Order: sequence, then C-alpha cells, then structure tokens
Amino acid sequence: MSRIRTLLAALVAASMILTACGQSGASAAPIKIGAIFDLTGPTADVSTPYSEGMKDYVTWKNANGGIAGRQIELTSADYAYKVDQSEQLYTQYVQEGVVAFMGWGTGDTEALRTKIAEDKIPFMSASYSAGLLDLTTAPYNFLVGTSYSDQAVIAVRWALDDFKAKGSADQIKIALIHNDSPFGQSPVADAKTYTEANGGAFMDLAMPKGATDYVAELAQMTTFGAQYVIIQNVSSPAAVLLKDAKSQGFAGQFICLNWCADEILVKLAGDAAEGVMGTLPFVPPTVSVAGQTDAEAFLKAKGSSLAEKGLHYTQGWWTMAVMAAGIEATIKAGNEPTGENIRAGLETLQGFSTGDVTAPISFSASSHKGNNSLHLYKVTGGAWTQVSDAISAGQ
Amino acid sequence: MISGIFHTTYEQDMALRTSHAQKVRLVILVLFLLAFPFFANRYALTLANQIGIAVIGAIGLNILVGYTGQISLGQGGFMAIGAYTAGILTARMGVPWWASTLIACFATAGIGAIFGIPSLRLKGLYLAIATLAAQEIILWVVTHWKVVTGGVDALVVPNPELFGLRMNTDFNFYWLVWALVIVVTLATVNLFRTHYGRAFTAIRDQDIAASVMGVDLFKYKLLAFAISSFLVGLAGALTAHYRSIVTWERFTIDVSVLYLAMIIIGGLGRVTGSYLGAIFMTLLPVVLSNLGRALKGVFPIVEALIPFIQQAAFGLVIILFLVFEPEGLNKIWKNIKDYFRLWPFSY
Repeated sequence: MSRIRTLLAALVAASMILTACGQSGASAAPIKIGAIFDLTGPTADVSTPYSEGMKDYVTWKNANGGIAGRQIELTSADYAYKVDQSEQLYTQYVQEGVVAFMGWGTGDTEALRTKIAEDKIPFMSASYSAGLLDLTTAPYNFLVGTSYSDQAVIAVRWALDDFKAKGSADQIKIALIHNDSPFGQSPVADAKTYTEANGGAFMDLAMPKGATDYVAELAQMTTFGAQYVIIQNVSSPAAVLLKDAKSQGFAGQFICLNWCADEILVKLAGDAAEGVMGTLPFVPPTVSVAGQTDAEAFLKAKGSSLAEKGLHYTQGWWTMAVMAAGIEATIKAGNEPTGENIRAGLETLQGFSTGDVTAPISFSASSHKGNNSLHLYKVTGGAWTQVSDAISAGQ
Repeated sequence: MISGIFHTTYEQDMALRTSHAQKVRLVILVLFLLAFPFFANRYALTLANQIGIAVIGAIGLNILVGYTGQISLGQGGFMAIGAYTAGILTARMGVPWWASTLIACFATAGIGAIFGIPSLRLKGLYLAIATLAAQEIILWVVTHWKVVTGGVDALVVPNPELFGLRMNTDFNFYWLVWALVIVVTLATVNLFRTHYGRAFTAIRDQDIAASVMGVDLFKYKLLAFAISSFLVGLAGALTAHYRSIVTWERFTIDVSVLYLAMIIIGGLGRVTGSYLGAIFMTLLPVVLSNLGRALKGVFPIVEALIPFIQQAAFGLVIILFLVFEPEGLNKIWKNIKDYFRLWPFSY
C-alpha cells in the first residue's frame, strides 16, 4: 500500500513538474500579431512608411527584450487596399493563431469589424472614424489617433479663438471640404453641430473624385464667405486645392485634418502650403519630443532618419507600441495574452505616455477612444511647426 | 478510342452530360465538394466561400457579356445594390435573410434592366462607358443617400439563421453558397437550351440578323440585363449576409474589372469558364502571397518585391491569356482533355 502511495506521490510530483515546464514553455512562446498594409494600392504613399514604422518597432522591441521577455512575431502582407484580400489575409492569420491584428484603411477596418468582434481579436488601424467607437458594433476596435470628428471640432475651436483674437465683429463662417466618401463625410456632422452651437455658420462640400481643379468649389466657398476652411482629404487633392486657392486669391485660412497634414502636402503644394494649419495626432519629425528617441536611434543605425521617413513612420511605430503596451499590461496582470485578455489589458491603459508623440492614451471598458486632444501645427518655411498647446475636443 | 460523339436517341441529344467521362468527372467533383468542408480549415473554407460567391457573380456577368455580347463595367455597382438591399431590409426592417436575399435579387434585376436601356442604342465601347456610368452613379447614391444606406457608417447586418442554425459561419455558409452555385449553374446551363438563351446568343453573334429572324431586341437585351443582374444581386446579397457588414469600398470599379478579368480568363460564354475564372482570380493573389512567404527565408529580397510582382502578375496574366488563349482556361481545359482522349495519337 505504501509503495503505491509513494508511486502516486511520485507521479503527482512528476506531473506537476511537467505542467510547470509546460507553463514556462508557453510563457516564452512568441506573441503572434497579424498586419496588413497597402504597399501597392491607392494609399501606398502613406501606408509604406506606416508599415516600416510598425515593422521596425517590432524589431526594436524584440532586440530590447520583447514584451515581458516574450518576442513579438509580426506576420504581414500587402493587400493593395482590396477588401477581399484583406479578408483572406485576416482569416489566414487568425488561423495561424494571431492574437491581435493591425489593419490599415477605412475599407478593411469597416469590412473586418464584425469578424474581429466574433473572433475576439483586438484591432487597431489608421482609420479614425468615430463610427468605430460604437462598442456595441465594434467592441474590439481601438483608436490610437484622435478621431476625425474630434480633429474637426478641435479645428473649429482653434478657428473660433483665432477669429475672436482678430477682433472681428462679423459672424464666423467655416467650410468643411472633404473627400467624396464616408471617410470624408465622417467629421461633417460633429463639426457642423459644434460650429452652429457657437454661433458660427457652417457649410460642407465634397471634392469630386478625379477632379483636376477645385475652382468651382473655391467660388462656392467665396460666395459663402468662409474665413476658415477645414480639409478632410488625402494630400494630393488637398495640394491641388491649395494651389488653386493661391492662384484664385482665396483669402480663407486652411486647416488640414491628419490625412493631408503631412510632408507630402508640403512637397506637392510648395509655396501654396505656407501658413496652412494642421491637426496632427502624431508629432512630425520637425518637432522633436522624447517619444522619437528610440525610433531615431534605430533608423540612424540603419543609415536613415525620421526626417527621411516622415510622420507616418512615427504613426506606425507608436500604433504598434500602444498595442504592445496593452499586451504587456495583460501579461503583467498574470493573464495569458489571448485576444479577449489583450482587450481587457488595453482597457487598463490610463494616461499611457507616448513621449509626447500623441496626447496620452487612455482606454477603458466604456471607451476605446485613445485621446481627444492634439497640438495644432502650421506650415512655416516648408515645415510643420507646433503653434498651440494641446487643444481638446471637450467631452 | 472515340472518333466522335454520336447521339442515337432524343434523350441522349438532350442530356447535359453526354459522355461517360463527363459523368465520372461530375461525380468526382460533387464528391469533392461534399467532402471538402470536413477536411478544410477555416482559411480554406473562407477561400471556398469567396470563390462560391465569385462563381455566382461571374456566371451572372457571363450571361450578359459572354452569352449576349453586351459589355458591362457595372458589376461592382450591381453587387452593391444586391448587398445594400439585402442588408437594409434585414438590418432595418427585420426581414428574414432569405427573403431579403430574394428581394435583393429582384431589385437588382429591375435596376439592371433600367441601366440596360442604353444598350438598345449603344454597342461595344459606348455601352462600356454607359455601364461605367451605372457603376459610378450607383456607388454615388450608396455613399450619399444617407437616410437609406447610412452613408458614412458601414451597415451592420444581423447574422442569418435557419432553424436556429447560424448560417454565416464559414462551415455552414459553405453549404448555402455551394448549393446556390449548383442551382445557378443548372439554371444557366438550361437557360441556353431555351429559346430565350438562343435569342441571347443570336443577339451576340449578329444583332441585325437576330432582329430579322424575329428576335425582339428590346425585350431580349433588357431580359439579359435583368437575368444577369439577378445573379449579380444574389452574389452581392450573399456577401452582405456572409460578412454581416456592408461597406461601399467592397464594390468599387476594381471589382467590375476583376469580374471581367474572371470571365475573360475563364472563358467567355461558358459556365465552366466562370468557375475556372473565379477560382483562378481568387486564388492568384493567395498563391502569390503565400509563395512570397515561403520564399522569404531563402531569398529575403522576395518579401519586399512580392507586392509588386502580385500587381504585375494580374496584368500580365490578362495580356498573356488574350494573346495565347483568347478562349480562356475553359479552352485550355478542353485541350488537356483532348490531349488525353487522343493520346498517344494526338495531332
């Protein structure tokens, strides 16, 4: 009898050791993250530096000990902004066991949001549409950048202050000219409500697809008497608008939201970009903050620099960093990083500092809005320079 | 060795599958389709479902372009009508998914027929531009008619259920979509054995001659647009229910071009061609991207180049097919069959 007991005890001990080994083995396993980028499609010019930032962050993080000692295994591919291909890649990566997914544009972010909710895969992308903040239909989407709506409200706030400072007695008139798509329309409603609540007049108009000039739109805005024009579009059409405005002698002040407030706009519009304001959720390389140090050092070792890569690189780097921070919080809380646990981990991030690259990021179980404030920038001498303290969209 | 196919009875003459080999192949195909989901993982099932939807859409387009000779660049737009009609009916009005799918098919058929009206006066390139306009108009309406489509936000559609069973898991949806593929295939194959189908091909081959023979061009051209759009609408509605979300960016002009490429590469005016084209065009990017991943370890440079190779391959494939085998994969398949049938005495 005692022999059997000894044997049983030995078995139990052995099995416990085995389980322990199993556990330590599991906790050293790499954390798989999937990502898709547009490297050859219509948004390749901005997605390519974004993708490099994300990949380089992973390389850098892994070289510096990974997430709580575990390596990140990033699997990524180009999807050329094709919705079908984004679904194929997403399913493939989920099949391979990724626990988080980094998307890119509005097209894939919207198309995948029901499936990521079902698969419980936390998702971040560079689409900052406020519709993604609805936790009932998008419970696994997280917004690292300030939403388009908040950006537009911040732009209006700045315009109101600026107008007041100029001491004009007239009514403020703000126009929002946008890409002719849901991406473009996204901030219209909130900007309109906010402007009108503050006694201003508001108009919105679309920039027709494929237009080669925007003289007609400028004429409409002149008739309206817009003193401030917010642009929600990507850089190349925005640059055409700015050039037309200059040649037509349009007097309004332009404010670009984040997809046209970048180096590409300055390059394309040249002189016409001078004096344009921008709402930049991520700091451009022309302003140096603590959060750029690691990326800058990493790029220097590769013979490159942030100035060369541009602000979308920083955007990619820090979007990945926020996801990594969420995973780290999950592991530190003693949970295995599964999709569901990572979501809970991300929701514990409070005032997470990105070294002033963005306003501090906070998520909670009731809000996946990373932040609602940013600095305003102005193109001065061909470079984006910071001109304001952080302005919040309120709420 | 067979020197030819000779029909000695009316039954034989009317059969869809005449030779023994054809029947054997059909049985093998059906057995494969039945067994596939039990061995496939989720990724493979997703691809199979995407192919199933693409086959229905491609058959629809082929009826119009391949059989009736009316070129259309409006495929994406018509799919959008199917998807939005089904989505809105189910999400906003609580219509059961199967009913909304059926209504979506008829709605698309109706709108397709309206956009087919220019085809009575326009041919070839001019019709291509007219249907291109259809594509743009439809997408414009979809993104701007906010009250109905939701405009800015994507339309979230509740999961379809049948007898308490959720139909849009990858496994369950496979049965739904492939059952529909089979129904659509049988219907289309038989359509071209009726006088309607023969009128369509007569219009394609020579519309004036067809008109002289008594084919009512007005009626049959619109009918071709309607039948084609019916199936395209079905493909769109299935997409909406499968993915439980409808977004406009899924139905851009790229989709119209992709479907045209499918039927050109697969084979115009052949149902088999639609199958082969849909399979080929869905799997091409998948194979290329997985090949790139596999080769990454051996040649690291490939990883950086693969996206560009993928883009180039798409164009190259279309050009090569147009040059070397304008009749598409379907003809290549026929050549292979002929080769083995005549082996070793092929000429």
